[in-house]
Formats: sequence, C-alpha cells, structure tokens
Amino acid sequence: MHHFAWLSWLTHDKINEHNIHIFHASFVVIFLIIATFLVARKLRRTEERLVPEAGTTLTNIFEVAVESILGMMEGIIGPGAVTYFPLIGGVFIYIFLNNILGLIPGFLPPTDNINTNLAIALTVFVYYNVMGIKSHGLGGYLKHFLGPILWLGPLVAVIEVIGQAVRPVSLSLRLFGNITGDHLVLGIFSGLVPLFVPVIFLALGLFVSFIQAFVFSLLSTIYIGLATAHEEGRGEGHHGH
Amino acid sequence: MRKLIAFLGTLVSSLFVTAMAFAAEEGAASSLDSHTKSALAISAGLAIAIAAFGGALGQSRAATAALEGIARNPGAAGKVQTPMIIALALIESLVIYALVIAFLLQMKI
Repeated sequence: MHHFAWLSWLTHDKINEHNIHIFHASFVVIFLIIATFLVARKLRRTEERLVPEAGTTLTNIFEVAVESILGMMEGIIGPGAVTYFPLIGGVFIYIFLNNILGLIPGFLPPTDNINTNLAIALTVFVYYNVMGIKSHGLGGYLKHFLGPILWLGPLVAVIEVIGQAVRPVSLSLRLFGNITGDHLVLGIFSGLVPLFVPVIFLALGLFVSFIQAFVFSLLSTIYIGLATAHEEGRGEGHHGH
Repeated sequence: MRKLIAFLGTLVSSLFVTAMAFAAEEGAASSLDSHTKSALAISAGLAIAIAAFGGALGQSRAATAALEGIARNPGAAGKVQTPMIIALALIESLVIYALVIAFLLQMKI
C-alpha cells in the first residue's frame, strides 16, 4: 500500500518509501526544537512565572506535560526520579508527537517503521543498563542477574539475560504494531465510508497514540527503577499523585 | 553562548540526519508454489483470530475487576482507572505481537 505524503515532494528521486519516515521524524524534531526554544525563553524569567498565564498557551501545555510525567516517574522510582527525567520526558513527547503525526491527512507516522522504534528502545536499554552500573558498580549490577539463590545462579542468569534482551524488542514491537494497525484501520475505513465514520477512528487514534507513548515511557521508567533499585527499606514512593 | 551553540548544534544535526537518509534497502520478491501460499494465508488469518480471542478474554477480566472496584468505591475511580489502562495496554501488546507475525506472513505471499 503506497501512501501519499506531503513531504515526498521535497526531492523526488532520492526519497522512496523506505526512508520517508526519517523525513517525518525530522519534521517532528524540528517542530519540537522550535517550540521548546520559544518556551524556554519565557520560562527562564522565573520571577514573572510565579503566576501562570491564563488560557491554553504553549508554556502551559509544556508545564502540564512536565508535571504529569514527573509525577508518574516519582510514583515509580521515588525521590530520585529527576535525574532520569530528561530522557523519559523526551521519549514521551517525541513518541506522542510522532504518533499524532499519523492522524493528520498526508503525513505518515514515523513510528510505524520499526527502525524509529528500535532506535528509541535501544537508547533506553543502553541508558538503564548504564544507570544500573553507575549506581551499583559493574560487579554489583551483574550480581543481580544471578538471582536470590546463589547456586541456581547460572540457570537464573540465562533466563534473566533473555528477559532483558527481549525488552527493547517488545517495546518497539508494541509501538510498531499499535501504530501501524491503527493507521491501516483509519485508511481502510476512510476508503469505505468517507463521510462521518473516520471521526470515530481519529478519536481512537488519538487515544491509542497517547496510551502507547504513555506505556512506553512507563515501562522505561520501571526498567530504570528496577536497574537502580537499592534494597535499603525504601519508604513510600506512592504519595497519591 | 554555550546554550546557543547547543541549540544550533541540535538543529543542524537533526537536519544532517535527514540528509543521511539516502541509504536504500532492498526488498526480496520470492515465488512460492500455491500450497505454501495457501498455508501462509490460512496461518496469517488464524494467528490474529486466535490472538484476538485470547486477548479479548484477558482484557475483559481486567476491565471486570476494575469496574467492580469502581462500583464498590466510586471515589477511587481515578486511581483504579490508570492501572486498568496500563493493564489493558500490556495485554493488548501480546495481541499486537501476533498481528505483527500475521503481517510478516502475509507479506511473503
């Protein structure tokens, strides 16, 4: 199925259906850079920011997003969540905007190509392993793979390694399958009944895009929390956000 | 000054990634006989059907538990709803794995 995309008018000969997703992802990245640049200038003047602006401005949207993502992370990791916030917040906003891009007619979501998803999932995978090694040391982190009982260590280690290796694959496949299936369903139903029925599928697409970005960042947070967990009687991390 | 350089560097490098996108992939076209094709078609259809059946059962149990919890304690609706959505998304991801396999099988026909 060949989709039409506005961005394929950029250069005719070099863009084929295999690398069009990179152009859409770059489109989202450039949009995000410009938006954050506009917002960061305002947020720097903190004395004027004590009273938030009224209405739905770009700064308010960013503040809501940052606050809710940070709240979710603190509910899972606890008080040390702010260190990991830049990656997970960026991952959430990037995946959410990539998914949303597919709902606009004439754009393809970059996340319906497995390469985009695998890039994000491998970044998170490397990141939480490095964070685990940083907080426990290399030997201490590898000792977690042996499990609680020491003489069952090699067996548990094999299962643990397989389970860890499957994590980026499952993260990217989940996102890929959801977004591709959703885009296909939207396309098919828009072809069948072009008049009012696609509104339902656009609403479903909006919901699925948000949920999938949320689940991706939630699972990444859980993996980071598992890798950097210190078993010294952690207190109540859930204070009812 | 450093932040300006960081901002411009990010902008320019994202444009470079776009320019590096000119690596082509190759798709393989194979010609299988009709028995293999029919087997692929039947298995692709059955994969997603059975996965959707099992996934619907699992999701119905999660939704039942969540709705009962909300019925007992309507004030806790917000706190019950978020884990329910997470559980539904995770159960659905297993169905999505089967859908991906069905896609891969269907592309070989």
